Amino acid sequence: MDFPSSLRPALFMTGPLGLSDVPDTSFMCSWRDALTLPESLPQNSENGAPHLAKGLLWEPDTPGPLPLLPPGPDPWDPGLTAQDLLFRGGPKFRRQPQAVLDVTEQFSRFLWDHGDIAFSSLGKLMLENFNLEGPRSYSKKKTVVSVKRILEDLGGHQPWGCPWAYFSHRQRRFSILGDPILGKSVSSLLGELLYEELATRWEQLLLDDAFTGGALAWLPGRTPQVRQLVYPAGGALDKLSRGPDFQEVRLTPGSDPRILGKPGHIQLRGPVRQVVTCTVQGECKTVNYFPPLLPEPDPDPDLHLLHPSSALLAVRSDYHCALWKVSRQGRPVPLQVLKVEKGATGINLSPHLPGELVVCSRSGAVCLWTPHDGLRQIYKDPETLVFRDPSPWRWADFTAHPRVLTVGDRTGVKIIDTQGPPGCGLLLFRVGAEASCQKGERVLLTQYLGECGPDSLQPTLHLICTQFSLYLMDERLPLVPMLKWDHNLPSAPLLAQLLPPPRPGCARPLLLGGQGGQLQLLHITGEGASTPRLAGHPQSLPSRSDSLSAFPLLEPRSHWQLQERLQAPTIGLAATILPSSSSPVLSLFQLSTAGDVFHQCLHLREDLGPPSDPRPNCCAPTASWSPQATACCRRWLKALLKVPPAPPVWAAPTFSHRHLLGFKEQQKVEGKVPEGLRAAMAQGRLLQQRDLGSLPTTEPPPGPTPGPTDELSERLEAAWEGPVTAWWEQQRDRTSRPGRQLKRPKRRTQLSNTFSSLSSRLDLSGATSAPHSPDWTSPVSRPRSPVALPSQELTQDLWAQGIPSERQQTLRDYMAKLPLQGNTPEGSSTSLSQISSTQATPSTQRTLRDCAAELSSHRDTPGGATLPSSQTSSIWATPSRQQVRILSGSQPHRKKPRMGF
Amino acid sequence: MSDFSEDLLRPTKEDDPAGRSVRSGSGMRLPWLQKHVESVPTRGKKEKDFAQTTSACLSFIQDALLKHQWQRAAEYMHSYLQTLEDSDSQKRQAAPEMIWKLGSEILYYHPKSSVETFNAFADRMKNIGVMNYLTISLQHTLYLLHHGLLDDASRNLSQAETWRYGEKSSSQEALINLVQAYKGLLQYYTWSKKKKELSELDEDDYAYSTASQNMFSHSWKTSINFSALIQTPGVWDPFVKSYVEMLEFYGDQDGAREVLTNYAYDEKFPSNPNAHVYLYNFLKREKAPREKLISVLKILYQIVPSHKLMLEFHRLLRKSDQEEHRRLGLEVLFGVLDFAGCAKNVTAWQCLAKYLRQILMRSHPAWIQEEWNSRKSWWPGFHFSSFWAKSDWKEDRALAYEKAFVAGILLGKGCKYFRYISKQDHQVLRKKFKRMKKLVKKHSIVNP
Repeated sequence: MDFPSSLRPALFMTGPLGLSDVPDTSFMCSWRDALTLPESLPQNSENGAPHLAKGLLWEPDTPGPLPLLPPGPDPWDPGLTAQDLLFRGGPKFRRQPQAVLDVTEQFSRFLWDHGDIAFSSLGKLMLENFNLEGPRSYSKKKTVVSVKRILEDLGGHQPWGCPWAYFSHRQRRFSILGDPILGKSVSSLLGELLYEELATRWEQLLLDDAFTGGALAWLPGRTPQVRQLVYPAGGALDKLSRGPDFQEVRLTPGSDPRILGKPGHIQLRGPVRQVVTCTVQGECKTVNYFPPLLPEPDPDPDLHLLHPSSALLAVRSDYHCALWKVSRQGRPVPLQVLKVEKGATGINLSPHLPGELVVCSRSGAVCLWTPHDGLRQIYKDPETLVFRDPSPWRWADFTAHPRVLTVGDRTGVKIIDTQGPPGCGLLLFRVGAEASCQKGERVLLTQYLGECGPDSLQPTLHLICTQFSLYLMDERLPLVPMLKWDHNLPSAPLLAQLLPPPRPGCARPLLLGGQGGQLQLLHITGEGASTPRLAGHPQSLPSRSDSLSAFPLLEPRSHWQLQERLQAPTIGLAATILPSSSSPVLSLFQLSTAGDVFHQCLHLREDLGPPSDPRPNCCAPTASWSPQATACCRRWLKALLKVPPAPPVWAAPTFSHRHLLGFKEQQKVEGKVPEGLRAAMAQGRLLQQRDLGSLPTTEPPPGPTPGPTDELSERLEAAWEGPVTAWWEQQRDRTSRPGRQLKRPKRRTQLSNTFSSLSSRLDLSGATSAPHSPDWTSPVSRPRSPVALPSQELTQDLWAQGIPSERQQTLRDYMAKLPLQGNTPEGSSTSLSQISSTQATPSTQRTLRDCAAELSSHRDTPGGATLPSSQTSSIWATPSRQQVRILSGSQPHRKKPRMGF
Repeated sequence: MSDFSEDLLRPTKEDDPAGRSVRSGSGMRLPWLQKHVESVPTRGKKEKDFAQTTSACLSFIQDALLKHQWQRAAEYMHSYLQTLEDSDSQKRQAAPEMIWKLGSEILYYHPKSSVETFNAFADRMKNIGVMNYLTISLQHTLYLLHHGLLDDASRNLSQAETWRYGEKSSSQEALINLVQAYKGLLQYYTWSKKKKELSELDEDDYAYSTASQNMFSHSWKTSINFSALIQTPGVWDPFVKSYVEMLEFYGDQDGAREVLTNYAYDEKFPSNPNAHVYLYNFLKREKAPREKLISVLKILYQIVPSHKLMLEFHRLLRKSDQEEHRRLGLEVLFGVLDFAGCAKNVTAWQCLAKYLRQILMRSHPAWIQEEWNSRKSWWPGFHFSSFWAKSDWKEDRALAYEKAFVAGILLGKGCKYFRYISKQDHQVLRKKFKRMKKLVKKHSIVNP
């Protein structure tokens, strides 16, 4: 193997960062990496400088990926968000925000919701102090409380710190007596556990390393064009999609992949976390050698000879690992299952020897596993490699030497020889000054990129990803990165894949996938005796949430559901390159936690012209949605909307509001609106406009509102089909009244003139996004909302001079993304529509507002303390709200009521 | 868990140069933590408008860069310059570096940018962020070098060399050394150009003497430029290579040797295989004794057993008088073939086949046995599977032949690889095969 004859100059300093005062010479410019020093002779540099393909770019065919398979029948729950976990009453803005877990609120909710669990044991202990039945006993003991009386007092009592709650003296006495026991013992016992749980959840929300490596992989199919995708399906991701075969996909360069047949499933005991496949030596059955891992379809006529007959499939679950052998025609044959007591964190198949695996566990042990010989522990260290880090995450992979492995944890990566004495090894990478790491940087993923072939990179390269950067390390030169690139991904890069070159002599694409769905593609060259380097600037690929614009317009609740679904974390990435006559096609598949597989095709565009040549068209023509694509999305959406929503884990107990209502009903009811409201509340259903009778509606309904007849609304109407149509038809009578049409343009003039060129687009974005409460959206929009801000720079330089069309597009994309990031709690949309549709009459609106304000104040002040009304009203007067109001055009300001308890 | 909770609740006092990333549990910084925290509404003060617009603008630029929309990035860059006036001192200090990174990136790729634009931008940026003068100068030089503007690059480096700001810190010193070394490299380029011209001239020519004089005046300047940097730990391959070439040209063999020895054996330096390769090549040119060469390659063998020099190392060892060396020669060959990237190296297999025969003739089967013991478990699957037998036979007959011989020796004639290859009927190789079968029968280390 060739070693680069001359390496790039680099300072080498040892130890942790910050100890020595040394400059950071890794300047982080992609172009700097593209430069190589002229080898020896200067006269070469003028015409002999490597002609870098500066314009290397993979162009997406559609603005976003498309769903490949219909959504699964199981409901999917997006899980916890930061709002659920963090304390909302943060004092003020900090440049370094504090994450404060909201234990108090969660705890008080727990006590309310699961009082039986929290207090049952105490209740048993205090049984003698309660008189459960019968008349009042006239014992002298003051420590016995009559339960009947207390319940009577509590009947009708509105809990959760209602300001008008009335305390009887009995209650008061009980609470004074019971408090030391009830309050302290429960909170001290449970609080700690709850805190621990919340902290774990929060850490998991920030970084969920269970899916490191990805759970989507390729297997060879019957013919070279037909391949099988392996991925977990089902609500709990515990079914490995499978039939007689796995999901078969036909890949042809010219068109979209076709799905063949309907896969069955292998039901597993736990969620699948990682899927690895490998074809080594064609399983000794085929005539020809086949490159491992990613079979490259060849346009040769004798393709079938090149096709591997079988492959190995390894699956990691939380506590189990399993290995299957999948032959081209037959069923997958389970080879062996392994139970990992402490939990498995990583599994990898050897690219050199068939049937050899490496498995690592949370205990710090790394084992070599072959179905024939069983397990062999080759490394064990409960401590981390370089410095102490509490994370039990471990990873292991193979190297160019079949008997040498890499073992990684958060602090570094070590090369160990399985034949050598245990414990010895060489550090390949350490989080420290050697790689000029940042403070707090940790290893998130390591991957062996080796693949032998005449036209490939060195087979000794390893990819190491941290939350900030990406490193390419050569195992022959430990500790000195061959390449470093700041990826700047807004989520953890846990997925990576190196693809074969699309064309001989072309740069190899390296895909990097963040957990949040962001994708980056790096072009890496460096064959033979040269160092690996970037060829051209890395590019970002569309993520699943970019596909939102392909879906038809929806009512807010469904829109939310869709958006949440599209923003589900990515847990698998599989790609392949299909050579075609015109330009190579990159076919990219991604899997989300919701079990959706999305697909996208990209075409390679190369500009090989000399670097100084001005290219006439520098900006890529923006891809647009084809009718087939939107039709595909619509079908998928239809199936998605049929999926029942996830059942609530636990429903809040209903307190005796019926009792209250009954009491109120005796009073004189004036007007139809309160009556309708009350009826709806009594039945626990949505309040709809028809319940309120014909009202002089002054405000538009939620969701899209057509302005004066213009192109946009016409197009929208044409686009509206399916479940929305009926609803819309119903609404249209009312909404197209002339009185309201006049109002909207008038309101819009309130926006500054500088926005005039954008207003229609802004309105569109307001329409696409679901209505939302300012309290929820403002922080999301805040850091990215320069549009609404009176920045002089922006207004003068950008808006006043007219906006270039391409930037309008960006702005629109941006605006479309703006309001919601899926952080809204489920169910809030229902009540929103409920509220917004009742905003017609001032009186109702007022009462509801008060109600909502009160409720939200309870939510914000855990422990049941009430706020003075002035304070509650001040919540609504924060500047953020005004911003949102400007942004959402003339949409009325809506509030989010307190959800349940 | 306890430190984690403390981390969460206690306000951290530490300064965060990145500004965006925040500590989470376990000391790990997550750049996306801020986003999560900000998604929770708070009632308090919000970030300033100025900071909001700048950070939004930054994200627009980054997005445009990742989409290769240089024109759009340039337009946003125009607005982003406001960050230089940030009231937050920390951000203001970090601004020039950020602008340089983004700006140079845009100007490098922008279809309408020219060297002049880049020069103007670089010169401005050097003086805006005084602290970045040296790093920007270095990168500017690289840019000019890439465009073949050696004189400009050299001028640029001379300016940077004399630049001083405040007290001379060690970081500044390292950078100045680097600047000087690059200058030396540029001088080396001109020198080697002159050398080439000189080699074309006749020695009796009048021009020859002036040209050679010119070259001599270069040498001492260059040596000063290089010597400071190559004392600092790092990877300095291009500098060391050119420095040694110049030293050798002027007959300073001892100096060259010292430089190379220091580069290869200094423990503070990373274990760079090239350092040993350079030293070996130098010693070879010098016609150093074999012992010396072997000792250099022995270290390279320990670092990179798959290096292509290993076959040369094997040849040296094979010729050696010491039994120990000859034994090592076998180990080296086996070591090379352990690697997946070398599995199809015909020369290596040829060497091994030949050497195995030689060793068995000299009756040292124990050596082979020892090497084989550790590989017995995986070489058959790795090299001698029937898959490889078929594929090798189809792709490279010579390779298949050599491998079959080795397989026969090591695994006996019953092994799959040997059986498959020996069954192939081939006109040309028939005689060879016959000999091979005979040899295997006679010498195989496997007892029948």
